[in-house]
Amino acid sequence: MVSGNEYSSNGRPHPEPHSRATQLGSFLGSLQLADTFFPSGLFTLSHGIESFAQAGLITPQSLAAVVADLVRASVGPSDAAGVALAMRAAQSGDLEAVAQIDRRLTAIKITREPRETSIRLGRQLLGLSRDVFDSERSRSYLALVNDRAAPGNQAIALALLKADFQIPVAEAVAGELYSFAASCIGAAVRMSEIDHRNAQRILYLLRPVIEAATNDALSRSLHEIGGSAPFVELMSMRHEEAELRLFSS
Amino acid sequence: MSVIGERSVFKVGVGGPVGSGKTALIEALIPMTIERGFSPVVVTNDIYTQLDAEHVRAALDGILSADRVVGVETGSCPHTAVRDDPTANIAAMEELLDKFPDADLLFLESGGDNLTLTFSPTLVDAYIFVIDVAEGDDIPRKKGPGITHSDLLVINKVDLAPYVRVDLEVMRAGAESARPDGSPWVMTNSLTGEGLDQVLEFIASTSKSGRSDDVRQLLAALPPHDHSHSHDHEHAHTH
Repeated sequence: MVSGNEYSSNGRPHPEPHSRATQLGSFLGSLQLADTFFPSGLFTLSHGIESFAQAGLITPQSLAAVVADLVRASVGPSDAAGVALAMRAAQSGDLEAVAQIDRRLTAIKITREPRETSIRLGRQLLGLSRDVFDSERSRSYLALVNDRAAPGNQAIALALLKADFQIPVAEAVAGELYSFAASCIGAAVRMSEIDHRNAQRILYLLRPVIEAATNDALSRSLHEIGGSAPFVELMSMRHEEAELRLFSS
Repeated sequence: MSVIGERSVFKVGVGGPVGSGKTALIEALIPMTIERGFSPVVVTNDIYTQLDAEHVRAALDGILSADRVVGVETGSCPHTAVRDDPTANIAAMEELLDKFPDADLLFLESGGDNLTLTFSPTLVDAYIFVIDVAEGDDIPRKKGPGITHSDLLVINKVDLAPYVRVDLEVMRAGAESARPDGSPWVMTNSLTGEGLDQVLEFIASTSKSGRSDDVRQLLAALPPHDHSHSHDHEHAHTH
């Protein structure tokens, strides 16, 4: 148990970068935000995996390859890069720069479902951050979103909260990619396409992919936000027309 | 627009096992609530999307505008979507209520976890649990949170009792013993309207007593250095 005097009056750790309280506090913050118990709404998304399953294309091997491709070529260069840039902008107090990143994320999401679900979940997360974590950044940003000055993508909402939790940027980006991979693999488990053992094995094997994608995301500028995964995008479009759907993407 | 916010919309959860008649109950109640002066909207949580929503739209054609009914995809986890992580349902509700500012009554339907289904207090103000006689007359005695803790227990399809060898007296006795003192329960036939006046009365009377689930109230229960978020931000922020 950390003693009370290691915390500031707002209940958050003092901002000394190397103190034990800060490191443990941000670690616990990372755990809370990456936990599937956290109400992110991610379990309602399959990120295109449902279309792959309906086309009979999912095996443990193919799922590992598809999720690796998504992390490397789609979410890493887009949402994860957006998290890194938005956290830095938020930490310097520049919410207009955050909004620019947010608008760019919407512009590069080519297919409808990922674009709409990202905004739907992002706005919910901003509200949750304001109400539950008393996040002033999220409160101010939600006002911009409500004024239609910014779309409110999920990656941006998460970046603001992670900045509040003083999570180091690299860890925040890796956490975003981990949550994404776990969400894809969890969808495959709930569709009974793979079992729990293969699910954990894939997640374990994806660690170097997530690490490389994190480093790539950290190096990108605003104009370098943008991924390319054409096959997944086609499957995502097919999902819009699917007669039977368990997931909203 | 916040579902948790100040707006006066009475939210009624309708849960219960698949096939117990939740959709039929809502379809029968909607015209009655409109006649009573309510302005309803409906959110359904299907196993596969849109089937229930489309059924409600078709059944209420000419009575309730089709776009006042929306379906939510639940990622194969309807119980999670209405309890553990209600994000998708809150978003659907907010979008629906933004679109229809006149709405003052919202039905939220979910098959969820069968007999263990419960709703997040954020999503509903009152919770109706629907079972039917064809599931067997021992269902009330099996209890489960839906039967014991719902605000109203509905035992539907009473007309089927003779055909499925169910003794309604056994179900009555089971409901009496499973429900906490005074908790209401009712036997219905949604297709003929039997018992539905009691369900409507329950909704009309319960809607007058709101429920507050302000998350900030929790802060008062925490140790001193953990609940300082409730003050007015005198502290400096890092942004």
